[in-house]
Amino acid sequence: MRRWTVRTHLAGLVALATVACARGEHATAVGPAVTDDAGRRVALAAPARRIVSLLPSFTEILFAIGAGDRLVGRTAWCDYPPAALAVPSVGDGMPPNVEAVAARRPDLVVLYRSGPNATAAQQLERLGIPTVLFDLNRLDELAPAARRLGVLTGRGAAGDSLARAMDSLASQRPEPLAPGPKSIVFVVWDNPPIVIGAGSYLDRLAGLAGARNVFHDIATASAQVSIETIAARNPDFIAVLSDTATPPRYAGRPEWRVVPAVRNRRFLFLPGRLFGRPGPRAAEAVRELRRVLEATP
Amino acid sequence: MKYVVLVGAALAALAAALLVGPANLPLAELPGSAIVWQLRLPRAVLAFLVGGALGVAGTSLQALVRNPLADPFLLGLSGGAGLGAVAAIALHLPGPWALPLAAFVGAVGAMALVYRLGLVGGAELDPRILLLGGVAVGALAGAITTAIVSLAEATELRNAFLWLWGGFSGASWTTVLVMLAYAPLPLGVLVAAARPLDLLALGEEPAQYLGADVPRLKRIVYLAASLLTAAAVAVAGVIGFVGLVVPHVCRLLWGRLHRTLLPTAFLTGGILLAAADTLARTVVAPRELPVGIVTALVGVPVFAFLLRRWTVS
Amino acid sequence: MDRELILALRGVTCRYPDAPRDSLAGVSLEVRGGEFHAVLGPNGSGKTTLVRAALGLVRPVAGEVEIVGRPGQGWSRRELARVVGVLPQREDNLFPQRVRETVLLGRYPHLSLLGGVAAVDRAAVDRALVACDAADLADRWLWTLSGGEYQRVRLARALAQEPRLLVLDEPTASLDLRHEMELFELVRTQVDAHGLGVLMITHHVNLAARFADRVLLLSEGRPAGAGAPGDVLTRDTAERVFGWPVSIGPFEGRPQMIPLRLRKESP
Repeated sequence: MRRWTVRTHLAGLVALATVACARGEHATAVGPAVTDDAGRRVALAAPARRIVSLLPSFTEILFAIGAGDRLVGRTAWCDYPPAALAVPSVGDGMPPNVEAVAARRPDLVVLYRSGPNATAAQQLERLGIPTVLFDLNRLDELAPAARRLGVLTGRGAAGDSLARAMDSLASQRPEPLAPGPKSIVFVVWDNPPIVIGAGSYLDRLAGLAGARNVFHDIATASAQVSIETIAARNPDFIAVLSDTATPPRYAGRPEWRVVPAVRNRRFLFLPGRLFGRPGPRAAEAVRELRRVLEATP
Repeated sequence: MKYVVLVGAALAALAAALLVGPANLPLAELPGSAIVWQLRLPRAVLAFLVGGALGVAGTSLQALVRNPLADPFLLGLSGGAGLGAVAAIALHLPGPWALPLAAFVGAVGAMALVYRLGLVGGAELDPRILLLGGVAVGALAGAITTAIVSLAEATELRNAFLWLWGGFSGASWTTVLVMLAYAPLPLGVLVAAARPLDLLALGEEPAQYLGADVPRLKRIVYLAASLLTAAAVAVAGVIGFVGLVVPHVCRLLWGRLHRTLLPTAFLTGGILLAAADTLARTVVAPRELPVGIVTALVGVPVFAFLLRRWTVS
Repeated sequence: MDRELILALRGVTCRYPDAPRDSLAGVSLEVRGGEFHAVLGPNGSGKTTLVRAALGLVRPVAGEVEIVGRPGQGWSRRELARVVGVLPQREDNLFPQRVRETVLLGRYPHLSLLGGVAAVDRAAVDRALVACDAADLADRWLWTLSGGEYQRVRLARALAQEPRLLVLDEPTASLDLRHEMELFELVRTQVDAHGLGVLMITHHVNLAARFADRVLLLSEGRPAGAGAPGDVLTRDTAERVFGWPVSIGPFEGRPQMIPLRLRKESP
């Protein structure tokens, strides 16, 4: 009699478990799910309808795939497209203000993958708010981000289309510049001199525009070099992220004037909001860079 | 004899700094090259001057606090300079001189604060108070710096920390001239105090009995050594270990009397820093290491070796 | 012989900040050339304060100090160091040094700012080393010396200053019998042969009584007796000042103090 009771209980437990699993699969099969760049599986019950974006590039992507109307929070830096300004700000996002984000009652928070953001994501998850972390340092990371944001918002087709556009841009072979090859250096800081290397978005844009970054041989995104190295490599132009056309403060210093491009005032002023971060307008940035390179003698 | 050797080594270090560099200039081109005259030469000269200043400042401060393990940056000056630099960037102060001036003001402010702390207890320039006060002021400055960094925009401030790690990439003839105009006075004051500094090593009371006006001596040495260090930080960021290791090397080689020690420390510090800067420029070319890292990487083993000798003897 | 007055304290009173009582109260003292003056007294009786007040390290709240006729305040450190040589109780030795270098420090008050060490300075160093029986130690490292040798070197340094007055603060505190006697004999020779004035603070009442010409006995900052050893060191005075029963007996014409053991209760 005992064995019969045990067997029944066991069978009952197994049946219950099977139903639960099935229901679970059933549940995940309904809502969108992706694996984010922190290796986490992010599964939503339904496409996100109240999104907080904590990076201007994600804001742009969301608008570009037609999910802009679902944004309920953005960072203070998110200023494109103009419609984004109507979305309430939750602070500068560095680090994210978890309370302000939670107060927007989002069902998805999109963050750039970094140490402080991973901590903020954990805190949001504890409050029951789903979060997703994406890398977005390089041109190549735009397409996967767009695709996955498309899945999470139920705008999969738009996401794929944007991703394809980014992929085709990345694989583009640029036309040679007229009237001849141009080389540039991106100087981010002067004391000590910091330049952009191959690991970065700007370097890639330069390549796509048909120009050569003289520090393409440095693998990291940025590096400290000496003025002498810049002078020795003698770039045609010095590219500076600036919204105005005033030469940078080091342009007048005698030691910098050893660099021919500084001496001859051959600066390229690239607006920060277009060139400062990877985003859907990358193609526009490439076109703009190319135009400026060809226009300046 | 030793001065012949030192001056010779100094010239060799300067020559190496002129000949070697990422631009790989052929020998024939050197005399006419702008890279040599506007970049390598002022940089080498500045590195030499700053190294010399730090060597002398370190020697004097070790005599003042009667502690052979003292470094010019022990007295809170580096924290003060860092605070000044970060504040200048965060406040977007204009002009190419904003950063060095702010760092200088910060360093001098720290020096004054440490001095004031010593006065409070009636222990003016008591070595223990100086050291403890220096740690406290350095920590306070560090805390305020961190607060500014966390509240302001991130990227520019990250670059401020790279500057703070020490480097001569901003060297120009203007900076060299400023150093040449400024440094001789505190250097001269310290060299003139050489004999009283010998006496100070016996202790403050015995030194007075042998003719040293100790209260006045301590004030002068503290002021001059701090001003030298503040200037060094203003033009080149925080470069550690030079002020600590150079006095010991010179003491071991040429004796501890300050009439010899101060000039040899100047020359040795200059040679060391000029050589370290050449290494910093070439070891990972085309990239550059901050000089403060090179001096620490070289300085730590040397220091450990000296420490062993010191504890054994 | 009318010997010159080198050091004079008149009614000097000193009090350290926040101290409950005066560390010196109304102390007077005169040290002449060719005179060996000892200062005795228990711990805390103000002996070291006396030296500090005499040499300007501590400012008296009352009384005056005169050195070779000039008020104490009127002397710069350098000038004073050419006239008074001091052996302080304690000093530091941060860096290894040789004996000759240490003794040379005594010449510093005589060296000019820009000038170097001259032959006259080196001669003074040699003379001082010979006078202190330390000539053979000249090239030794300081840290290899014994206690007695080290004190002789310090004395040589003070003598190298070519002072008129030698001030010694407990110079034999940690020395053994032989070195202690040697030091007292050295000092006595300097007084007799070279006319130096000597002011010595010491705990060794008996040796002071035998070697000194005059004695000042201090008790809690106050003078308990001043004059020839025989006049000052009486049994009543000694017992009162040192707080212990003693017996005083003569030796070679000088009083010697023997502390008595406490009597046990007889059964």
